Amino acid sequence: MTAVTASTPSSPFGRAWRTVRLLTTNPWTVIGWPLVILGAIFVMTWTIWWLIFASVDPADLTETADGIRFNGAVSYIFVYMLVISVQAVNLAFPLALGFGSTRRAFSLGSGLAFVLLSAAYAVVLTIGAWLEELTDGWGLHGAFFRTFYLATDAGWLAQWWIYFCWFVFFFFTGTIFAAMYVRWKALGLTAAFVALGVLVVATIAVLTLTATWHLFWEALAELGTIGIASAALVPAVLAAVVGYLVLRRATPRG
Amino acid sequence: MSTVIRVDGLSKTYGAGSGAVHAVSEATFELAENRIYGLLGRNGAGKTTLMQLLTGQEFATRGTISVFGEQPVENARVLERVCFIKESQRYPDDFRVKHVLKSAPWFFANWDAAFADELVERFRVPANRRMKKLSRGQLSAVGVIVGLASRAPLTFFDEPYLGLDAVARQLFYDVLLADYAEHPRTVVLSTHLIDEVSNLLEHVLVIDDGRIIIDADADELRGSAVDVVGARSAVEAFTAGREVLHRASLGGLATATVAGLDDAGRAAAREAGLELAPVSLQQLVIRTTTLGDAEPENGEPA
Amino acid sequence: MDDSRPIFLQIAEQLEDDIVAGRLPEETQVPSTNELAAYLRINPATAGKGVNLLVDQGILYKKRGIGMFVADGARARLVAQRRDRFREQYLAPLLTEAERLGITPAQLAAMIEEAGR
Repeated sequence: MTAVTASTPSSPFGRAWRTVRLLTTNPWTVIGWPLVILGAIFVMTWTIWWLIFASVDPADLTETADGIRFNGAVSYIFVYMLVISVQAVNLAFPLALGFGSTRRAFSLGSGLAFVLLSAAYAVVLTIGAWLEELTDGWGLHGAFFRTFYLATDAGWLAQWWIYFCWFVFFFFTGTIFAAMYVRWKALGLTAAFVALGVLVVATIAVLTLTATWHLFWEALAELGTIGIASAALVPAVLAAVVGYLVLRRATPRG
Repeated sequence: MSTVIRVDGLSKTYGAGSGAVHAVSEATFELAENRIYGLLGRNGAGKTTLMQLLTGQEFATRGTISVFGEQPVENARVLERVCFIKESQRYPDDFRVKHVLKSAPWFFANWDAAFADELVERFRVPANRRMKKLSRGQLSAVGVIVGLASRAPLTFFDEPYLGLDAVARQLFYDVLLADYAEHPRTVVLSTHLIDEVSNLLEHVLVIDDGRIIIDADADELRGSAVDVVGARSAVEAFTAGREVLHRASLGGLATATVAGLDDAGRAAAREAGLELAPVSLQQLVIRTTTLGDAEPENGEPA
Repeated sequence: MDDSRPIFLQIAEQLEDDIVAGRLPEETQVPSTNELAAYLRINPATAGKGVNLLVDQGILYKKRGIGMFVADGARARLVAQRRDRFREQYLAPLLTEAERLGITPAQLAAMIEEAGR
């Protein structure tokens, strides 16, 4: 007879790391499918470009090349990560607690997982951007990775930083809505959306009533893609902190 | 024998004012190490809320909880030794059975992977199926497998048999007994189907409407109450001055469930021409937990 | 297992039955607590309580590190005990029921005589 005994206590990092592993238990969800879908969208986008170029008058080629710099295909992957973070908090959280995790370890671990995934996917997109430049827009002057709202001329590290910031932004924005849902169910989610709506409408109202839209656009232009991406870290960090505070008193329910 | 759980004046109230729901009211009890406990009660009696409080998933309104000598909320030292897969446990959408079994060992230091694999085979759980696609019984089996293979020093089983067929339930009871014998640990079995598990339990807590109404050794309860059956007048005469848990009558015939009848009392009943019938743990719990309801004077027989 | 009495008493009685019937001869090993628990599907602590009851009465004895054994003279003692209880346990209810049915003690004796043949 060997009585079940307490094992050596784990470290705080070890406990957070379990959550990182829990969120990546099924590698297809966080690595496999996003890459497959990214590849598929890329092939489709490239095919469409090719068809456009094949049917366009050679005289209008420059204008067309400008036009395809505005496509938003790559942005799907950011939205996908938002969905992942919502799922993580909504469904992995109750399981982690069933497995004896603390809310603190879960929050730290999921934050760590999101930062690591952001860094890794930013590397993937940066490599894509590098190849895009190397091949002169995949042979068609196209912009899949270096769309106008993401591209920078400040070097590859800066390019990586832009992607990284946006991934972090989408991951943590997802967590706060999921945390509201876990804690207060539909009511919490509705409240979060209403709050967000009020914020957006209020901003628009202020800009419109004070006739300062031009200042807004000037500020964005001033910030540039690097500045805007970096600024997105502010709401991301805020969402992470508030998300933890919400989750800290949340109870998983069936 | 050391104490694993100590609960004092524990209450959990949802809402406030007249609409407040008292899920757990003034619960006070202790659970000793390495025993199998039954947490018995009707659906909605407060079993799950109580277990959520004990595992730090829910926050107490009043009172204190000590698990392994410390309060459990956000306490890794306590929670690392606890396994609580709820009956309504939810899993990530992308999880298959194999992912649950892959991730569980990261959280449970005593996890026995070979044992888990053996159980998957014996319970015939399809390891590659998505958790969302499992039948109720297969879902229960996964919870049972995690609970057993985790070998957590404090393991909760929440209505573990839901959807399991008779063979699988028996398998669970057999494996639990065998593994518990080899690896003693504190087990809390929450259930409203009492007869099937009553022989497995060493101690019983009965919760009704949020209150702990019975806290006794299972063997002490067994035979602690007896049905006295006979002519209505004779039953009434016999039960006068005795503690009656439940009465039922049909025409001139009456049944009374009498608590704490000793040998002399039994002899006296036989003397008075009354029949004595045993009351199972399940019947005892049913009769105790419906005590607050209207007394069925001319009601249906039990 | 029936519901009228504590299980540990029923375990003890079952072992006694086995000893009286000769299924567990003196100086043989009785099943371990865990074996009993698994076989009868009961809590091991309850099985242990039943076994210990017989140890306390000297029916079983413990060999350190090996297990429980039936004591010398256990069967004779159990038979004597049961004879003492026979009247109260079997005769009394028999007579009560006979009286209820209007069977006189003489008729009962005749019935027993006949059944014994």
